[in-house]
Amino acid sequence: MVAVRFHGRGGQGAKTASRILGTAAFVSGYVAQDSPIYGAERRGAPVAAFTRFGRDPIRERGAIAHPDVLVVADASLLDDAAAHVLDGVTGQTVLFVNSSLSADRLRTHLTLPEHVTTRDVTGVALQQLGAREAISALLGAVAARVVGLEWEPVRSAIDRELRDLGLAEPVLERNLTAARLCYDSVEPARLPQGAVQAVGAASLHHPAYEPPTKGTARIAAAGNSVLRETGGWRTFRPVLVADRCNGCWLCFAYCPDGVISMNREDRPVVDYAHCKGCQICVHECPTHALIAEREQEGGVAWTAK
Amino acid sequence: MWQRETFKKIKQIPREEHVLPGTALCAGCGGLEALRLAAKVLGDHVVYVNAAGCFTMLAAYPYSSFKGSWLYTTMGSAPAGAQGIRDALDVLIAKGRVPKDEDVKVIVLGGDGSTYDMALSSTSGAMNRKLDFYYICYDNEAYGNTGMQLSPATPFAARTATSPCSLQHPGATQEKKDIFEIWRAHRPPYIATVAPRYPLDLAEKFARAAAYTGPKMFLALSACPTGWGYDPGATPEVAKLAVETGLWPLKEAVNGVVTHTYIPKRKPVEAYLQLQGRFRHLFEPTVHTEAIRHIQGQVDAYWRQAIQEQA
Ligand SMILES: Cc1ncc(C[n+]2csc(CCOP(=O)(O)OP(=O)(O)O)c2C)c(N)n1
Ligand code: SF4
Ligand code: SF4
Ligand code: SF4
Ligand SMILES: [Mg+2]
Repeated sequence: MVAVRFHGRGGQGAKTASRILGTAAFVSGYVAQDSPIYGAERRGAPVAAFTRFGRDPIRERGAIAHPDVLVVADASLLDDAAAHVLDGVTGQTVLFVNSSLSADRLRTHLTLPEHVTTRDVTGVALQQLGAREAISALLGAVAARVVGLEWEPVRSAIDRELRDLGLAEPVLERNLTAARLCYDSVEPARLPQGAVQAVGAASLHHPAYEPPTKGTARIAAAGNSVLRETGGWRTFRPVLVADRCNGCWLCFAYCPDGVISMNREDRPVVDYAHCKGCQICVHECPTHALIAEREQEGGVAWTAK
Repeated sequence: MWQRETFKKIKQIPREEHVLPGTALCAGCGGLEALRLAAKVLGDHVVYVNAAGCFTMLAAYPYSSFKGSWLYTTMGSAPAGAQGIRDALDVLIAKGRVPKDEDVKVIVLGGDGSTYDMALSSTSGAMNRKLDFYYICYDNEAYGNTGMQLSPATPFAARTATSPCSLQHPGATQEKKDIFEIWRAHRPPYIATVAPRYPLDLAEKFARAAAYTGPKMFLALSACPTGWGYDPGATPEVAKLAVETGLWPLKEAVNGVVTHTYIPKRKPVEAYLQLQGRFRHLFEPTVHTEAIRHIQGQVDAYWRQAIQEQA
């Protein structure tokens, strides 16, 4: 059995990538399962998904604690302790990271396993699909190549899964082209064969009753959400070209997160620690004084003080 | 002609923020934008009573985005929770333990699943008892937090997780429930619809509502990039087209008397529908002329009657 764990941010397509891999494996004649961690995940928030496939029936279920292959849809997640990306990774784990940085560059500040591949999947997506489309097909294709699946089942899996999501034909075609580029850009990895994962015995706990005064989560601090920085959600940052700005306040009025303030000269000041990069301000600025610049990597998706 | 009295120009929007950043809501959330603008008028002396939904993430342990208070309730009971809070506040005011001039407001914050569906009886009860509170429904037209399932607020033909689109299923087959009229039948002193792209209209309505004692009901269009399938940067554009096509009328009802606060020139509905993934199946691979004509027909009928009544 091969166990693959995907990490991404809500909206990037890690969940669908995991489905694509599962379907591709199934079409290739394996038994397969895939499941995302399902919670109240939002665009930008860390999410994970799991795919297992093999020749024999698979009895394990749920989260994959020790992945054979780890696919990381966003390099910034590696720095984010709350995302638990590197949990359960051993020296044998094959790691793929969507990043324009080399594995050695990533190693300068991270402890990573021996087999690390990086590719700028976002760059391919930007070129082939346009701004900020989900990269599920691309990641699914990379993962499928790494575990050694043929292209044809991968193509048919992408077609099936994206069609299911209601993607239009031309978008589907562009995804297939981009996915093929990514598929061809990586090599199959040598995976440990038939390694059996230890499954711990289940133990049942009886939760004790606590009265609501004790058992209910209470927040006593006011407005402390600012301690949590969401700046790492961005793929693009809004940047002001000051001499184009006419000081109209529209960017301030429309920013949903309230992270634009107007200074004394009526120029917008963006709180980059919290700006999520939605680009509403960029779209709505009547004089095009706000432009979108692609973020350089290394930011932290979600930090808490 | 309806005229704004308090909020005449953009630079009158208060600078201070009352919904602080660092929230877990999606980038570009139209509902958050509506709430942020409303909160600029409502201030910090507030108790929000929230029904489970996306906005629950605004005050999820251990973080809160509010300087005021927040009570989390079940999907069906936020207005009942609001009654409890209001009563408790009134007792505390009577005992002199909360200063009356602090004017603490009680505000229900519910999604459309809660508002149109699960909490409808509880809301009806609160309106019937003339509870002095605000109700803000942020309408993203589906059960969003659990993955965009069909709700009674989902518009005709929209694709949701539980109204898939194929030849057999052209998306939602029911019509959007008219919650405004259901509310109006209870004769609360103030009801208004708002949309985030119209900040002055929105702020003005919250300012006007403050004059009334009793239920003050708000229905906020909450353009939702995640659930509706469009780029987060397009939220204002989507909200604008919802209004400009006439699909989302901006109006208020004071003691039951309806006034449209903006009369759109009414662009064809396609302009709005085409922007969103949830309606894409109406245009590709073949155009569902019938369904689009049906939607246009509904809008036209609405405005024919609205203009007649207003005249
Ligand atoms: C009685 C009940 N049923 C189901 C749920 C699960 N649930 C939590 S949030 C949610 C979606 C709520 O939809 P809506 O009110 O439209 O708010 P949104 O999530 O769209 O913001 C559901 C179904 C619940 N909390 N309570
Ligand atoms: S990109 Fe979005 S969150 Fe960032 S400042 Fe602009 S409107 Fe606000
Ligand atoms: S919207 Fe554009 S022109 Fe207006 S204040 Fe903001 S940056 Fe300046
Ligand atoms: S799913 Fe929609 S309504 Fe919910 S937080 Fe995201 S954008 Fe807002
Ligand atoms: Mg909803």
